[in-house]
Amino acid sequence: MTAMDPTPRGQVVRAIAHRDLLEFVRDRRTLFVTLLMPMAMYPVLALASTLGLRTALSDLEARQAPRALAIALSGADAERLATRLEQVAAMVADELPADWPARLTTELVPSRAAQRLLDDGMADVWIDAPAGTAAALDGPGTVPLEARVSAVRPLDARRQRHLLEVVRALAEDARRRRIEAEGLPASVLEPVALTFAGGSPMDGAASMEGILPTAAGGVLVLLALLTATGAFYPAIDALAGEKERGTIETLLLAPATAGEIVTGKFLAIWGVTLATLLVNAASIGLTGLVLLRFLPAGVDLGTDAARLSTAAIVTLLGYIGLAAVAAATCLAVTSGARSGKEAQNTLTPVILLVSGLAGSALLPGAGGEALAAVPFAGQVALARSALSGTAVPTLALQLAISLAAAAAATWLLLRGAAAALTDEELLFRGPDVAGSLFARPAPRSRPTPMQGFAAALVAFAGLWYAQGIAPADLGLAVPIQQAALVLPLIAVALWQRVDPATTFGLTAPGGRRWPLAALGGLLAGAGLFILGAAATLAVRGTHLSPAARDLAARIMELLLDRPWWLSGLLIAVVPAICEELFFRGWVLAAFAGERPGWRRALAAVFLQAAAFAAFHLLPERMPQTFLLGAVLGWMTLATGSLVPAVIGHLAHNAVPLVLVALATEGHGRRLAAGDTTTLPGWLLPAAAVAVVAGLALVHAARMKAPLREQGG
Amino acid sequence: MIEAAGLVKHFRSADGTVVKAVDGVSFVVGRGEMVGLLGANGVGKTTTMRLLATLLQPTAGTARIDGCDVTTDPLGVRRRLGYLSATTGVPDRLTPREVLQSFGRLHGFDQAALAGRVPALLDALGLGDCAERPCGRLSTGQRQRVSLGRALVHDPPALVLDEPTSGLDVVGSRDLLDLLERLRWEGRSILISTHRLHEIERRCDRFLIIHAGRIVAAGTREEMIAAPGGLEGAFFAAVEPGAHP
Repeated sequence: MTAMDPTPRGQVVRAIAHRDLLEFVRDRRTLFVTLLMPMAMYPVLALASTLGLRTALSDLEARQAPRALAIALSGADAERLATRLEQVAAMVADELPADWPARLTTELVPSRAAQRLLDDGMADVWIDAPAGTAAALDGPGTVPLEARVSAVRPLDARRQRHLLEVVRALAEDARRRRIEAEGLPASVLEPVALTFAGGSPMDGAASMEGILPTAAGGVLVLLALLTATGAFYPAIDALAGEKERGTIETLLLAPATAGEIVTGKFLAIWGVTLATLLVNAASIGLTGLVLLRFLPAGVDLGTDAARLSTAAIVTLLGYIGLAAVAAATCLAVTSGARSGKEAQNTLTPVILLVSGLAGSALLPGAGGEALAAVPFAGQVALARSALSGTAVPTLALQLAISLAAAAAATWLLLRGAAAALTDEELLFRGPDVAGSLFARPAPRSRPTPMQGFAAALVAFAGLWYAQGIAPADLGLAVPIQQAALVLPLIAVALWQRVDPATTFGLTAPGGRRWPLAALGGLLAGAGLFILGAAATLAVRGTHLSPAARDLAARIMELLLDRPWWLSGLLIAVVPAICEELFFRGWVLAAFAGERPGWRRALAAVFLQAAAFAAFHLLPERMPQTFLLGAVLGWMTLATGSLVPAVIGHLAHNAVPLVLVALATEGHGRRLAAGDTTTLPGWLLPAAAVAVVAGLALVHAARMKAPLREQGG
Repeated sequence: MIEAAGLVKHFRSADGTVVKAVDGVSFVVGRGEMVGLLGANGVGKTTTMRLLATLLQPTAGTARIDGCDVTTDPLGVRRRLGYLSATTGVPDRLTPREVLQSFGRLHGFDQAALAGRVPALLDALGLGDCAERPCGRLSTGQRQRVSLGRALVHDPPALVLDEPTSGLDVVGSRDLLDLLERLRWEGRSILISTHRLHEIERRCDRFLIIHAGRIVAAGTREEMIAAPGGLEGAFFAAVEPGAHP
């Protein structure tokens, strides 16, 4: 073979991976983060937490030094009550922890001196026992006792419990005396006697059963984060570092495709990430073994060696997929950076992404096959599932889903990185300076994809914070949220000099056929609401989260308590206009670009629909809002106009209004609040027909050539 | 052979306006010929060379390296072209030997072939003494020679060199240009750009002068040197008509 012959693909990928690995392992920072930090971190964390715990316990012990409960007694019957208390004190010894002194001391004092004793710490409580108190204990009535404590030296929890136990014993003793006085048998006080058969319940020793998966959750999230961290420096070095050093050109001059270069680099980064994973896992395992030696005797881990072994294997296999996604994510996000500094900045959101996703697996109820497919969250959930003793076939299914999803995510991310690698703008443009962000550009037809992304991010954050400050009353909350969405957008659109007609689709759809498009939007929007509501009812029934129920109740309040025109304005008209201007206007225009190919159009519709769904915050609403967003996005791209989407959104949101107007008040309330699952039988077929007819009408009114013929 | 036919490259600047970096450039560099591409900063020299090296895609027109089209067969072009610029770096943590081996493998050489080729190239470039030292610890001249070795490791018939002597001292520049002359005598086509006109005025066979994205003058060495003021005079006459050197 000569240099003019094509190099085998495998050799190209191996050569790049080998070259990058050599560079990585000679970088001290990479070695420190990958190998040294995990080896030292877990022991330090464990030691620090143990020391912290010990310090806290010592402090507690110091403040609760073993000292007998001191009771000051005053009043004519003080001496007799003291005798009775001292008699029962021995009875409570078994109820108190072994290292607590069960003794109590009593001191008879005049009332005027009692408060001083309390404030000086000489007595824990002061009880006044007027004449007749002791005799009343043996009578039929209830004896009122008031335990006064110091305001300056509050009673601590330990002595409070001791006092309660003493008083309980005093009451029990009094009951026994009263029964004897009446000549009744002691069994009167014990109408039921419970015993356990077939094994006794556990004694006071702590059990780790059920606690282990929870306790391990934090460690698993940390492991996910640190594994991802292992990809950071290699990823920065792999593309941004090469650009900074001017060596990326040399790779692009080699007879290798962008895909081969990215694959080779990915393999090298993945290798380092796997090394990080293994060192972390080993460090966790060894630290765990060390910690086991500090466990008090008698503590049961509640799991067996077989389960732990299975869990370790499943966790490692799952995290191999996690390491791949982490490596690909870091490579993809740094592919847009031209210097190490820029790459570091772009990786900051990755830390948040990994932490957020991995942490979401710890939420109550999280788990199952669907979560297994979510990178970072799925692996943590899988490991917890294995630790909690899930059956092996179920674990195997979850693991297969997790690995398949990781492979798919990795492939997609590498495709993105390869596209960015050969992007001429990214390769040869000047430095990114903040000044250019605020510079007013020349007039342009639509925003850039980055501006679309930034707008979606800011809107999401704005909505999130608005939740905290907007009033509960939707009459005020809706205008505030919608204004917060659209007013900054208008300002930015004016500043960035985008063409409003193109960006926001301010044209008549389909020329003379606009009535078709408008009618299509109306039918599709209304039909989608009915279908979405029915699907939600079918899947979830009436099991809605408290937040969803609260929202439904507030919407119903608005519908029933305000004039119909105001409800319609707030629920249908304002959101339809503002949200469409934002999502199907700005965001879709930014992502789709000018005359997109079908692939880019599909990606743009998907992304804006995902942003639209996320914008609605409640998970219950996301599938329906995603579908609505996707359909409205297609309508906008097909017709080049925002009008069908606005009408469709308006119709979608107006359906509850119509339902409430048609139904009786009580039924309407239950229906919209999700308290009933009954829908008229004809409604679903009618809704399906409406959606199909609506889409057909919009299709008929579409632009002649909205998309390019080939993908782009 | 290096051929450019009506090469055009447009960029969109940050404010949205279109910049014509290369505007219809055509030329040919034959086998065993060294041609100098002269021009001020920002007139399209580097863009032209990047188009030839497939680092950029032409907006219009085409170019061929040893018969391979830059648009339709970029991998074929890269197998036949050695490219070097003032900004092409070398990996700091690899040694010159590792750099050459790594790129040799990328070009399809196996271990046995590399065992013969890499030491010979290191010796030819005068890098034998520092072959095992990390590139980050080499001098600028040594690093540039490593870069040249990387561009030559696959024995390409064509070389495109964008200011290869930038940053080198007088001795380093002379050595590098001597080496290029030897490569030219071996039959390679070489296109070279530099701001130091005196370095190449007696080494190149022909010169192309580029200004505002267009070739504004071209001629043989003899023609250019014969102009009033020599090569420098011909350059200024081409880029600033009416001005005196």
